[in-house]
Amino acid sequence: MTFNKVVWKMAKYHYKKYLFYLACNSLAILFFFMFMTVYFNEQLVALKEIEGIQSLLAIPGAALIVFTVFFISYAHQIFMKKRRSEFGLLMTLGMTKRDISKLVLIENSIIAVIAIIIGIGAGTIFSQFFFWLLLKGTGIQEVAFHLNADMFIYSIGAFMLVFIVSIAQSLYLTMNRDIMENLKTEKMTENTAFKHPAIGGIGVAFVVGSIIGLFVTYTDPDGGEYLMLWAMITFIGLYIALKHLTSFFIGLIKKNKKLYYGGLLYWTSIDHKYKQFTSIMILVTIMVMTTLLYSTIVFYGYTETGKEAIERNPYTIAFISTDSKNNLPADEVHAIFDEYENPVEEHFTIPVYFKFEWDDDGYPYTVTFMPLSAFNEVTASGFELQGKELIYHLNISTEDPESISYGRELRFSIDGEEILYDYTKVIGEKRFNYLDEFFIINDAELETLKGNLDGLEATAHFINVKDWKDSEEAVFALEQAFKSYNATTPNLNVENILPEEELFYVDSLVSDYSNRMNSEGIHFFVAIFLSVLFFIGSFLLLYIQLFSEIDKEELRIRKLFRNGITSKEVKGLVSREITTIFMLPTLLGLIIALLYLVAMATDIGGVLANPGILFQFLLIAGIYFVILIIFLIYAKRKMFMEIAGFREE
Amino acid sequence: MKILEAKNIVKVYGKANDEGSTTALNGINLSVSEGEFVAIMGPSGSGKTTLLNILSGIDKPTSGEIFIEGQKLNEMTGDALARFRRRKLGFVFQDFNLLESLTVKENIILPMILEKKSGPEMEKKVQELASLFDIEAILNKYPYHISGGQQQRTAVSRALANEPQIIFADEPTGNLDSKSSTVIMECLKKVVQELSTTILLVTHDVFAASYCEKVIFIRDGSVHSHLEKKSDRKAFLDDIMNHLALLGGRQHDI
Repeated sequence: MTFNKVVWKMAKYHYKKYLFYLACNSLAILFFFMFMTVYFNEQLVALKEIEGIQSLLAIPGAALIVFTVFFISYAHQIFMKKRRSEFGLLMTLGMTKRDISKLVLIENSIIAVIAIIIGIGAGTIFSQFFFWLLLKGTGIQEVAFHLNADMFIYSIGAFMLVFIVSIAQSLYLTMNRDIMENLKTEKMTENTAFKHPAIGGIGVAFVVGSIIGLFVTYTDPDGGEYLMLWAMITFIGLYIALKHLTSFFIGLIKKNKKLYYGGLLYWTSIDHKYKQFTSIMILVTIMVMTTLLYSTIVFYGYTETGKEAIERNPYTIAFISTDSKNNLPADEVHAIFDEYENPVEEHFTIPVYFKFEWDDDGYPYTVTFMPLSAFNEVTASGFELQGKELIYHLNISTEDPESISYGRELRFSIDGEEILYDYTKVIGEKRFNYLDEFFIINDAELETLKGNLDGLEATAHFINVKDWKDSEEAVFALEQAFKSYNATTPNLNVENILPEEELFYVDSLVSDYSNRMNSEGIHFFVAIFLSVLFFIGSFLLLYIQLFSEIDKEELRIRKLFRNGITSKEVKGLVSREITTIFMLPTLLGLIIALLYLVAMATDIGGVLANPGILFQFLLIAGIYFVILIIFLIYAKRKMFMEIAGFREE
Repeated sequence: MKILEAKNIVKVYGKANDEGSTTALNGINLSVSEGEFVAIMGPSGSGKTTLLNILSGIDKPTSGEIFIEGQKLNEMTGDALARFRRRKLGFVFQDFNLLESLTVKENIILPMILEKKSGPEMEKKVQELASLFDIEAILNKYPYHISGGQQQRTAVSRALANEPQIIFADEPTGNLDSKSSTVIMECLKKVVQELSTTILLVTHDVFAASYCEKVIFIRDGSVHSHLEKKSDRKAFLDDIMNHLALLGGRQHDI
């Protein structure tokens, strides 16, 4: 028997270790690759640029990077810890460090290659299935599953990077330890590492600081850009805090003799397990936090979209007409809606006047005027304006309209004279769709302007129908009717600035609503995809954490049995331990997600102003907990079954 | 007063009367009185450990009865047995069986914790045992940081934590060097003398057996003979050696 054969035989005997290691690596690649199939999906990339999915993907992206790094290096550590004690033994038998390095490199390379094949293969299948399932569920048609080179390059690249760093670290450790240290590797616990509550305090400060930072900066115009940064700081802070503080807390509990002795086995076991599994606990915390936060934000966006569309469109339909364009008689317009059994309930018009201008940089813009009398009449208000006075109507809802200024000079040349208009009041309210901001001017002054400027006189129409949700076909028919009418009249190319289609379109609540629902639906799709991914990922982590060292657990419980512990007591103990391991990161993740939500809700006026978002958060958290508890019961049952086996000597 | 009584213990592995069955114990009768320090010796495969496991309730006999303090051990099952064992019996194992995740002190108080004793009571007991066995300095260390001898002294302290009536020790010196073995046997002697606890130990080690007051020899699953200490330990050691020669096992089998 050659030495190589001995090594091969040892590997075969310990095949479970290799399988576990392979499974972990495959999973890491699988998750990363599945994320990549979303991240680099061409239709989603295209949408991402316009719809801002990019910033929405920032937190899950950061979490996934942390997940991949931790998961791979953790799996590697478990594997190498077991291997190193074998290496110690092989070294006593005369294997050189060179031989060991060769062995490490060969077996890790083989595992890496197999893991990449399995991970990407399974990732492709699962991802395709997910796409199919979710696209079918949400009815989205713009997105389809496909593969491209980037997905492969980034997945394999990221994996290889982390993997190689881990191997380099292991090789360094194996090389620089003497035989005895290697032999004892498996016996050594991780509690030799330096731990200090003050460092834990710094970690807490990181977490708190990053949340406050987010809270303060999120309303800035660039606030979203910092989101990833804040998330990274929170994650790093969490790592430091959990690594250094848990022992500290257990130390505090040790001081309370009654509490400590009462649950000695529990506390020491949690302390011991926590030391071993800090990384996994942190990872699960991050994943729970990300899943909850992300799905709440998107779910909220999805449900709010309809409301927003209604707020943005005070009237079901709005358009403008001139003598030659969109100029169908009211009866004809109403008849179209009648045809679809969705009669017009309200239809009024306001005269408007557009002046098209070029700014200093050569960009076109439009100044819109509305006569005071018409505005007062429609809005039932009693504003008065003298001479050159204007009212600046923002036509968007805002709390402090006076703080907003127009930013351009309203200077026009009338009778060869330069006249500067100024506004005396700003109104911040969404009043009309179709129109953007406009100026209210007294009627006589508007007539003067019209007589002297080369603008466009038009009539703005605002229509409400019986059931806006059912108005899609009627709106389409109206658009068609306008299109055929406009084709019969000469083209109105307004001062070469605007093509007529951009002026004479029909603005409708129903199309705005369905556009938004569609894009939110895609957000929703991405969110569910990632949530499910993270959800499964976090449970797998917990599961691996529980059962990866089952042999050690067996030994511990066997010893406890020998010390006269009863089955009931063991069950109670194990039950408490498993519950803690499952619940602790979940609760922590929940709290941080909630704090993030509060910070991010400043953007929409705070959580208190939007109780709906809190409700949705609790709903999602509730669902999460229910599934967690089902999984917990399963894990407990499985553990109890394993324990029942330990009892037999 | 008899503290332990075994009547006609039979242990058969495999089906009785089957060709493949092995009779490990074949009708053993023995009794141990309170405060006795008894060793069971015999060649490999003679049934020593099986006997100890049956006497301590870890294993069940095929037939026969065991009484500890008048209570019938082989009729107890499951949790009731576990509770009985932790209250009345103490165990010392060859491989110490300490929990790696607990400190020396925590290992010692473990049986008391299972009995839900109060904090001060446990503290007091730990101090008492630690000073008796000279392990006060290592109370806060973990098992992998202390020597084999220290681990076994910890295990003996743990076995005594609930003040058991009887301690069962399975090859307590089996994993120790001669110096540590001496320390452990001195410890056990102290236990018998100072705490009047009964000790029943199984051993290969003639030297360890010489600390006892009585040695029971078993062979092929039956009690072969027994020896009692008449004078000092040195003389007893010679007696045991001679007796083993008579017993006829090859020397390395002992």
